[in-house]
Order: sequence, then C-alpha cells, then structure tokens
Amino acid sequence: MASSAGPDHLFNLRNSFYLGAYQDAINKSDIPNLSPDDAVERDSLVYRSYIALGSYQLVISEIDSSAPTALQAVKLLALYLAGDKESAIASLQEWLNDAAIGNNPAFRLIAGIIFMHEQNYNEAFKHTNSGGTLELHALNVQIYLKMHRSDYAEKQLKIMLQIDEDHTLTQLANAWVNLAVGGSKIQETYLIFQDFSEKNQVTPLVLNGKAVCCMHMGRFDEAETLLLEALNRDSKDAESLANIVVCSLHLGKPAARYLSQLKLSHPDHMLVQRASSAEVIFERAVQAIA
Amino acid sequence: MLTKFETKSNRVRGLSFHSKRPWILASLHSGVIQLWDYRMGTLLDRFEEHDGPVRSVHFHNSQPLFVSGGDDSKIKVWNYKTDRCLFTLLGHLDYIRTVEFHNECPWIVTASDDRTIRIWNWLSRTCISVLTGHGHYVMCASFHPKEYLVVSASLDQTIRVWDIGALRKKTVALADDTSRLNRMNTYLLGEVDVIVKYVLEGHDRGVNWASFHPKLPLIVSGADDRQVKLWRMNDTEAWEMDTLRGHTSNVSCVIFHTRQGIIVSNSEDRSICIWDATKRTALQTFRREHDRFWILAAHPEMNLLAAGHDSGMIVFKLERERPAFSVSEDTLYYFRDQFLRSYEFSSQKEKQVCIIRRPGSIFLNQGPRTLSFIPTENAVLICSDVDGGSYELYIVPNYGARKDDVIKVKKGSGGSAVVVARNRFAVLDRSSNQVLVKNLKNETVKKSFLPIVTDAIYYAGTGNILCRAGDRVVIFDLQQRITLGELQTPSVKYVVWSGDMETVALLSKHTIVIAGKKLVHLCTLHETIRVKSGAWDENGVFIYTTLNHIKYYLPNGDSGIIRTLDVPIYLTKVSGNNIYCLDRDGKNKVIPIDSTEYMFKLALLRKRYDHVMSMIKSSKLRGQAVVAYLQQKGFAEVALHFAKDQKTRFYLALKSGNIQVAVASAKEIDEKDCWYRLGIEALRQGNTSIVEYAYQRTKNFERLSFLYLVAGNIEKLCKMLRTAEIKNDVMGQFHNALYLGDIQECAKILENAGHLPLAYITASIHGLTEIADRLAAELGDNVPSLPEGKGCSLLMPPRPLVCSGDWPMLRVMRGVSEGGLDYGGRTGHEEEEEATGADWGDDGLELVDAEGAMQNGVLEVEDAEADEENDVEGGWDLEDLELPPDIDAPKATGNAATLFVAPTPGMPVSRIWIQKSSLAGEHAAAGNFDTAMRLLNRQLGIRNFAPLKPLFMDLHMGSHTYLNAFASAPVISIAVEKGWSESASANVRGPPALVYILSQLDEKLKIAYRATTEGKFSEALRVFLNILHTIPLIVVGSRREVDEVKELIEIAKEYVVGLKMEVKRKEIKDNSLWQQELAAYFANCKLHRIHMKLVLASAMTTCFKGGNYSTAAYFARMLVESSPSEAQAKKARQVLQACGDRKDASQLNYDSRNPFVVCGATFVPLYQGQKDISCPYCRARFVPAIEGQICAVCEIAVVGADASGLLCSPTQTR
Repeated sequence: MASSAGPDHLFNLRNSFYLGAYQDAINKSDIPNLSPDDAVERDSLVYRSYIALGSYQLVISEIDSSAPTALQAVKLLALYLAGDKESAIASLQEWLNDAAIGNNPAFRLIAGIIFMHEQNYNEAFKHTNSGGTLELHALNVQIYLKMHRSDYAEKQLKIMLQIDEDHTLTQLANAWVNLAVGGSKIQETYLIFQDFSEKNQVTPLVLNGKAVCCMHMGRFDEAETLLLEALNRDSKDAESLANIVVCSLHLGKPAARYLSQLKLSHPDHMLVQRASSAEVIFERAVQAIA
Repeated sequence: MLTKFETKSNRVRGLSFHSKRPWILASLHSGVIQLWDYRMGTLLDRFEEHDGPVRSVHFHNSQPLFVSGGDDSKIKVWNYKTDRCLFTLLGHLDYIRTVEFHNECPWIVTASDDRTIRIWNWLSRTCISVLTGHGHYVMCASFHPKEYLVVSASLDQTIRVWDIGALRKKTVALADDTSRLNRMNTYLLGEVDVIVKYVLEGHDRGVNWASFHPKLPLIVSGADDRQVKLWRMNDTEAWEMDTLRGHTSNVSCVIFHTRQGIIVSNSEDRSICIWDATKRTALQTFRREHDRFWILAAHPEMNLLAAGHDSGMIVFKLERERPAFSVSEDTLYYFRDQFLRSYEFSSQKEKQVCIIRRPGSIFLNQGPRTLSFIPTENAVLICSDVDGGSYELYIVPNYGARKDDVIKVKKGSGGSAVVVARNRFAVLDRSSNQVLVKNLKNETVKKSFLPIVTDAIYYAGTGNILCRAGDRVVIFDLQQRITLGELQTPSVKYVVWSGDMETVALLSKHTIVIAGKKLVHLCTLHETIRVKSGAWDENGVFIYTTLNHIKYYLPNGDSGIIRTLDVPIYLTKVSGNNIYCLDRDGKNKVIPIDSTEYMFKLALLRKRYDHVMSMIKSSKLRGQAVVAYLQQKGFAEVALHFAKDQKTRFYLALKSGNIQVAVASAKEIDEKDCWYRLGIEALRQGNTSIVEYAYQRTKNFERLSFLYLVAGNIEKLCKMLRTAEIKNDVMGQFHNALYLGDIQECAKILENAGHLPLAYITASIHGLTEIADRLAAELGDNVPSLPEGKGCSLLMPPRPLVCSGDWPMLRVMRGVSEGGLDYGGRTGHEEEEEATGADWGDDGLELVDAEGAMQNGVLEVEDAEADEENDVEGGWDLEDLELPPDIDAPKATGNAATLFVAPTPGMPVSRIWIQKSSLAGEHAAAGNFDTAMRLLNRQLGIRNFAPLKPLFMDLHMGSHTYLNAFASAPVISIAVEKGWSESASANVRGPPALVYILSQLDEKLKIAYRATTEGKFSEALRVFLNILHTIPLIVVGSRREVDEVKELIEIAKEYVVGLKMEVKRKEIKDNSLWQQELAAYFANCKLHRIHMKLVLASAMTTCFKGGNYSTAAYFARMLVESSPSEAQAKKARQVLQACGDRKDASQLNYDSRNPFVVCGATFVPLYQGQKDISCPYCRARFVPAIEGQICAVCEIAVVGADASGLLCSPTQTR
C-alpha cells in the first residue's frame, strides 16, 4: 500500500515513457522544482525516450563523463544500440565490477536490457533478479517471458502488485503476463489496455496491445482497424507494421507491402529475422528431404 | 427533513394543500389567508375578510373552492378563481377551530368552542346537522376519507367518533324531496341522524387533535398531556392501543403519513416528531429554536408535508424520492424495493438483477443515495446516509446464481464513494479530508489528502475524482495526487458527464454550470426553480429537468423549454426523440419529445446548413420565435424562409441583402419608409435600377435627380427638369439645371423666379453676354458687381463617359439556403462493365452468353452431404500441458544476487504445438519445416516443396504477434492460438491459429470459377493451383470439413487438368486434329454446369470447324441436353442440322461411348481398363510412363509415390 505522500512530479513523464509516447515525454520534461534525484531520473527518462526514438547519437554526445551513473548507463545503452556492441559490453563489464556502480538500480536495469539483447538471460538475471525498482521487476517479467517461463513471470508480477498495484508498469507487466498465459486472461488484458487508452493518450503501443489481444481472441477485423489507427499515428512503428503483417495474413489480405516497409525501416525486427531464418530453415529442410 | 419551502409571517394556524397544483393555503393569526405557490416560492393571493385569527382553511378536492373559519365565528366559502368570498355560513356561537370539506358529499364539518360540531351543506348553504355531546371546546373535527364517520377531539379530554351514515341517506332522499324546508326543520330539531359511536377516554388533559388512518381502522390523537395516543376500532368498540411519549409540551396536531407507516406529530415544545406506526418508537425529531408548532397538513397525493408555527410555515418532505441509478452504455441500473434492477434502453426491458437486503431500511433517508455499477466486474456500489454516511459493495454473482441468493456485502463508512476505475473505488473520509482508494475486496490500496475541504466526491474519468466543497469543485488525479482543474460554482448537487467525457454539467439547486474536461468554464445557466436532473444527448445537447419542465441547453448557452411536466422526473438517458427517465416511484418511463427545435438550433450552431435546410424543407418548425432566434443569431436569410409577415420578410431580406425578395415585399407593403430603406440597401449594393425604382415609388425627386447625375443619365435628368417644370418646383428645376450644366436654363429659372441679380451673375460669369446684357438692362442700377481679382473657375458637371444600367454590384454572400434548397439528386453512377468472354470468343463462334452466364451463375460448390453426420465436431482435446516442473528452480535466494541461478528456459509455445500434432500446417506454423515436409511427404507423397515455400513462410510469419513491452528492450513475441473463448483457462495451450482457413479457399474457388467464366484461363489456372498448394497445409475442425477439403482437391484437379489442356490448345495453332482432341477432352472433365456448357460449345465449334461433324453433333446434343441459354441452344441446333448424318472427316482419339480420364501430363485419354498410375495427392491419373515424376497437375507430389493420405484435421487421428 502506497503511503499518502505528496504529489509525484514525474508521474506524467514516466507514464508517457512507459506507454510509448516518447516525444510527449520529452516535451513534458520541463518540470520545475525537482529534487536532485528526481532530476536525474527525469534526465534518464528523457534520454531513454530519445533512444527509443532512435536518436542514439544525440544521447551519446550529450552525456559527458561527468554525468551521474544512471546517465552513464543510458549512454552505454545508446552506444550498444547504435551498433558499437563489443565496446559497450566491455565497458559495461568494467563498470559492473565496481561494486558501488554495480548496485545502482538504474545501471543494473540497463545491464539487464543489454544482456537481454544479447540473449544472455543468465547474465541479465545476475544484475536484475534482486529487483529493487518496479522497472527492474518489470524487466524480470519480460526476461522470464522471453524464456517462456510464465510461471516465474507471474511470481515477479505478484511482487509488483504488492508494491503498487495501480502503477502503469505493474499494469503493463500484468498485460504481458496475461498475454503470455492466454486463455481468459486475454480479455482482462484487453481491458487493461482499454483503461490505458481512456486514461492516457492513445499511443501506438497501447493500440498494438489492444490489437494483439483482438488477434488472440480471433477478432482480426477489429485488430486491423486498431493497427491502421496505430499506423496513422506513426507510420513507421515497427510493432504496428509487424502486427499488421500478421493480421493481414490472417485476413487473407496482401501483406507484402507492410512487410517490405518493415524490412526497410526495421531490418532487424524480430519478424524480419524470423522470416529470414525461416527461409534458411526451409532451404535446409528441402535439402534434407531430397 | 428536507425543507422545500419556508415562509415568514404571523402565526400560522391553518394549512391546506391543493390536490393538483403546487399550492398551499395558510391561515394566519392576523386574520389573513395566504395562497402560496410552494414550488416557485411566490405568494399568489391574500384573502382578508375574517375578523381576528383564522384557525383553519381547507381546499375542496375538485372544485375551485376553499373554506375557512375563524374567531369571528364565521365560516366562509371562497372561490379562488374569482378571488372572492362566495358566502358565509353563520350558526356557531364561538371561535371556530377547524373546517373541512367532505370528499364526495357537498358537506363541510366544523368544530367550535361552542361545544358543537356542525355539518353544513355548501350547496344549499345550510347547516344540516349539529353534533352535540362534547363538554368543552371542540378542538378538531374531521371526516373519515372513506366511511361516513367523523372524529372529533375536545378539551373535555375525550375523542368522539360519530356515525353520520343516516345523514347521508337523508340527504340523498332530500334531493328528491320537494318539501325541503319542512324537512329541514326536523333535522335542526331532531339529532337522530348523527349518533355517537364511540367515546374514547384516556388522555389526562384536553385533546387537541384526532385524525383517522387513511386505510386502517386507526385513530391517532394528541393532547395537552403531551402524549400521542393510538386507538383502534372495530364495528362494535374502540380501544386505546398505545401511547407515544416524547413531546415535552402540548401536542398540537398529529397525523398519519399517507404513504409510509409513520405518524407525524407536532407540539408547542417547538418540535416535530416522527414515529414508527408499527413499532411505536420515535424515529426522528426536528426542532426549531423559538417557534411553537400549531398545525400539520399532508399533501393528499404527493409525499409532502407542511407545518405551521409561530412565525410562518414550512413545506417539507421526510425522505428523498430520487431513485439511485447509474447508466452503463445501453443499460440502466437502479434500485427499487430491495432489488437491483436493470433496464435496457433499446429494448425497454426491465429485469431484476439481484436482491439486496439492506439493513434498517425503515429508517428515514437511509435509502441508497447513489449507485454505481461496474459492468466488467458485476459489482454494485451503493452509498447511503446510514450511520452518517456509508457505502456498501455487492458483487453480483453471474447469471447462473439463484435470484434469491443474498449477496455478501462489503461495507464501510465514508461521506461518499465512487467507482474510479475498472476495479477501484474511492471513498471520502471527511474527518481527515482524505480519499481512500480501495479495490473490490474492500482493501485500501492508496490514500490521498484532498486539496480542498471536500464534502462529497464524484466520478471524473478513470482515476480522477471531482471533489465538491461549498463554493467550488476541483478535479483531483488520484494517481498523481494533483489538482487538474478548479471551478467556482454554487454548491453542486449532481454531476453529469457527457458520453465522450469531454464536457460535464454541474447541477446545483438553481444553476447549471457546463465545463470542459479540466473544469474550464463554458457557460452558466440560472433557473428560477429547482433543477432536478440532466442527461447529454448524442449531439452534445444537454437535456435537463426542473421541477416542472424538460429543457435543453445548447453548447453556446442557448436554452429553451421542450415541454412541461406534471411531476418531477429523473432523466437517465436521451436518445433521439426519446427521453428515458425514472419517476419518483422508481418506474422507468419513456417520454417522446420534439427535438426539432433544439436540433435546428444545434445545426445552425454547428453550421450544418444542409441539416438546417432539410429541416426547413420538412417544415416542422413554425412561428415567430424561430424567426426572432434566427435574426438574433445573424441568420437573416434562413429566417426569411420562416417569415410570413411581409414586413418581417422585408427587413430580413434587407438584412441578408436579398434585393429581389425585398422588392417583392416592398411592393406588397408599399410604404414610404420601406421604399426608402430599400433604396439605401440597393444603393449600397450598386443596384441603381432598384434605387431608381425605389425613389420613383416614393416620388423622391431630389434624390432621383442626384442619382441620375451620379449615374450620368443625362436623358433622365432632362426628363426630371421637365417634370419639375410641370410641377412648378423652382428649386427642383434649378437643381436639375445645375446638374445638367444648362446655364441658360439656370439663368432662365432664376429670372423667372424673380432673382434677377442672381440670374445676371449666372449669365455674366458663364459668358452668356446676351442674356446678361438683357438682364443688366432690366436691373438698371442694381447690377451687382462681380468679385474681382480671384482666380475663379466655373462649376460645371463633368460629362459622363458611360451611362449604362447598374453599377458593378457588391457581391452578396450567396446564402446557405439557396445552395441548400437548390440541391438536387445526382445521376446514378456508371456501372463498370465486365470484360468477359474475350478469350472464349477467339474461335469465331461467339459465346454471347458468357457474360450472362457469369451473372446468372451463382457459383456454388455442390452441396456436399457429409456421410458422417453424427460425427461430433472435433475440437482440440489436448490434455493440459504442464509446464516443465521447475526441478532446478532454486529456493528463494534472499538478497545474495550471486546465489541466484536463473531458471532453465521453458518450452516455447511453438514447440508445444508440434509435440502432439501430426498436421503439416501446424508444424509449418511452428517453424518446424523439416518435420512439416516429412509429414507432407509421408502423407501425400509431396517432394517438390518449392511452390509451397511462400505458404510455409506465411504460416510461420502469421503464427506470432509482437508486443513492444519495455522501451529499448527486445520485443516479446506471442503465439496466436486458435479457438479462443472467454471461458478458456489460462496456461492451456491451444493449437496455432493458421493464416489459411477453409473459408478462404472457398473464396478462392469462387474467384477461380469467375476467371474461368470470363475466359481468363491462365489466371484461373493459377488460382486453382494455389488452392491445390494450400490444401496440404490446411487444418479443419470436423470430419465434414475434411470431406469438403477432399472434394475441393477433386474439383481443383479437374479444373487444372482441363485448363491446362485449354491453354495447350491455344498454344498449338497448326495441329487442328490435336486441337479438336483437346477440346473434346476438356469437355470430358468434371466441371461446373455453367462451365460445362461453355466447354461443350467450344468443343462443338472446334470439331465442326475441323470437319468432324459426327463428334460435333455429339457435343451439340450434349449441349442441348445441358439446358443451355437461348443463343447456345440455337447454335447447337444449327450445328445439329448442319451435321446431319455426316461422318467425321478425320479420326479423333476420342470415344464418347467409352468412359475415360485424361492423362494429366500427356493429355491422352486413359480408357477404362487401361493401365494407369495416379498422383498420391491430387489423384490425377497418368500413363504409367510418368511414374516417379513430379505430378504435372498439382506440381508438388511424386506420381505413383506411396502415401498415407491427406491428414488435415485432428479428428482424423483419433
């Protein structure tokens, strides 16, 4: 139970960030009277928003070596995502060896994200499993889902629910887990996303969430409408494109244009990767059977 | 106690409600009788004829009459319509204490200090009975509402019940009696008509009041011994039942409440007491500071009471009558008689959802005050005043539960409680000014201090609450704990949000404030009477009710009355022309309203002129009000459509610049002023001809001349000059001459007018020496001197360059109305023509019917009757797949991160899919292509997978959706499963939802058929092949569908073989024989009826051309038998005739009598008995030589390979 504390200045910023309204988060970041801790968190959220928008270089150049640890971590993430993987991991390891830094939750979070990208879940867990912040728990949930261990993910979720049941991240994590376990939970997930769209601004992320629920409930027509709306808001959103490819396939509609759009704008999206690996597998299988 | 109305006056001794109108009579100690409208709060009338205190008044229940009696011993009967006293009844010898009309008979009963009770006939204006027996002042006497009884109370400490049944009989008899006067005397003398039935003794002091229960045989009395006593009677006796003690001074009046089981008494101890009539306990006491209470009155029909005291009176009710309700989309949830009920607006069906037993429902004002329903959780939140404010939460079981189940309640105290999210509600804790957010288990999850001292909270969107203080409201975000908006308003009572949550109506007692989402003030509306309820309609119009009206309120602040109301209602929903509401009994009602007026205004406001026009055209609106409104809002040209009065039309036309209409109206009116105005407007627009016309009509010559001058119309000016001459208008003449520059004329005019010096000067300076000289001679010495030395110039009007018609006119805004009204229907769109038959027609003989065939032919797959009707439709019956047990899952590792061992990765859903499945499609979706291929190879002998590659890819791609979970972290992919239902349990994996489904193939089949009909053979071939390629990967649910799939293979195979031959035939141009054979073989394929005809015709034509008349005749006969179209039949008959008995010119490898199939690769007939070999998948037949090759028909399977057969449904493996 959260105590009745004062107003939460970063609430809107965080919400926008978690729900994928990155530009909005950046625009809203000018908040007066922040405590130093809040200011660091604010900066980190803003830089992470820039990363989410793909502006890696901006982040790399703006954060200098004197910045606090949390921001250094964000910079590492930017470096990593910008393509400089080896050196990013190397310096990450180096920093992690320093106990003082290695315990910084913001740093651990970034480490978790990077190792997750590396698909080195064990290494990721080394830094994230002890939790500490909702974000870390949420990341844990996600890693467990990646590992197809929804049972563990549910346990993490329970912890989050105890910390703050109404937090946006908790609700989001709840939605992820529900989608992964499926069944009747899907409808509940739809309601969670519905709540988001009522309470906050509608983002492609939320629309995608709803659309995914619809697809899992077999309502592909509705999903298509939602996804088109999402594409209306951001025509290059990777998940919207990926999901509309899937949706179009199920509706028996041509998906080729969306697919090539996705391939052009996000060549390393999971769907594209899966498709190209599938082609290899296909050829190999043809060889094997011949 | 809910005070509705209060007056300040002298002591009020008598009160009476009007039964229909919102009126109450109050008789004062000062001798005045007041008539009040308690709804509007106004004094309607005063009646001052009594001398001294008026102790009682009473309205007649149907006539416009009332009776009063006072200390002047007079009984006066008044007509309130004519506002005068009709007559006075004299007879009592002392103060009159009470007067009362009888419900049915024309009687008045009066009680007096002269110890008598008298009954009067107000028609005959006589006393018909004197009831004696009381030993002291009679304080009160009243009729029983149903029976012929009178109850009276006296200071002799008794209550008497009188039987007046005999009196009634007498009166009825009296009506027929002619010798009325004689009989009358006997009444006055003999008092046998009225007998005392019971004398009730028990009070220790004088009894001030006694009254009957409206239905039960009960009497209640109040006396100076400070007690209220309850009496019961039967046919033979009456006895004291109970005593209610509590008052501390004389009880002045006591009555039964007409609706509830309660007794209301008042007393000189300055209090009103409410008693439970059955339990006989005091429920509540209302006290005044200084005023002793003297009289009570109850409304005969409504739930209203009135009490008179030393300095005025109050009208009040004991309980709120507003039913608690909440609206959720199409359904209204409300509470009535211990039931939560639902009402569907669209179907108008009412239903009991569940019974809710609430504790202590008998107490006053403990009923539900507000109700919220959470549809997703089936939860009801009810707030009431129980224990000084509390809430109750009920979770309604699903519909399976029994209706009479009592639902467990979760309770808590709090000022008010509202639902704030799907599974959260907020409770106001007034003592600490905090709001507690709770979940549906009634556990507090969050607390927040409120920014203002709040006395109530309301819903304000998900996660927000609207807090009300006395003078303002704020919207508070519970999650961020910040104030989103603030607004100063009078104390808000109800909050109504619009459907899109963008606007809110804040209803106070006498004001409505409309505000935006963040409480941005939009407009305020003041009402003189109480605002009761409101609802938003779909178009953003706010409909609300006051005590006696339904009104609307437009977004721009305009409001108006829709209709009047007899009784207050509570709006629940507005939809089109219907208003849904609850009445005070908690019953649903639908009230049709005429929304035209406000919809019209709204359309104007929104500038939806097309709507405006259509409404005008349907002319549902009439009247001056609309015209005035339109004019006021600047829609003169629209108003023009409504105005009938010419004058109005004229002004509107001027305002909108519509000269034509204005001229027409001006002609009708023909007033100077109108023409004048018309002239001004026409001039403004530059329409000189109208200006001219207007001036002519008003004979305004001066202006007219000037107009001609300005317009350069010399000719007309000359005419004006002559007119002026005729009229002998010297000034006009001179003006015109001046305008014309005709100096001679000027001089002449001046001369004629006797202004010789002026004429002289005019002439001389203009160099008209002749005239000047002549004038000089006439003037003699008085020749004026001309100014010298100054450089002068002559004033001459310029010559006009052009003179033609109107000037360039001002552009008058083309009215919305013109465009709107001229709007006509548009011509129908062109239909696209279908290109058909192009290819079929190649052969010279035209297949004219191709298009027709296509249109007629509803291409349907022949209804396939499945054999296994009884076979249960298969579903997936996978056992629950347990996730791998977490053997190696470590125990809780505490804080030590180093000890943490990550669990082993679980099994992806796609792997679960393939574990149990032997369906190729599912394996492909899971990405296990090699097993999928192996399955296909084993089942169908497929070896050539190249054509299947895109299908495999699509299946795989469509099997997962993607979710961007955490910013910058990798996306999560989620497997899409088939057959989802609400009741599906979590963690149980269904089979994958494949992107290829049977219905899609049906669609494709139709497309292929159409392509065939249209003669697009290669297109058709492609689609059929696609069908053949998709089928191996399809998964269906039931056996019947499996059969459908198998049939589909057969159809596709036949068409593919046929179409391949047709394509081949087109390729070979030189070999006529082979062409004929191929055409003949095509006719041998099993095709759809429509195609069969086309193919037969084609074969017939080809053979006929090739000279093989016998075969051609055979096809012609076949064609005739297949019910062809007119043209086809004609052609076939012609062919038949032409062929006659002629023999084939050349030998075809075609024997129509011997059944055969065509080899799919070499296209040679395989007659029955001949050796052949078939494709394991599509079952196409081949000559044995083909064995081991890839099937030429389906292009994927190996001819002659071993195969177990098509497996496309899990039901097949069971």
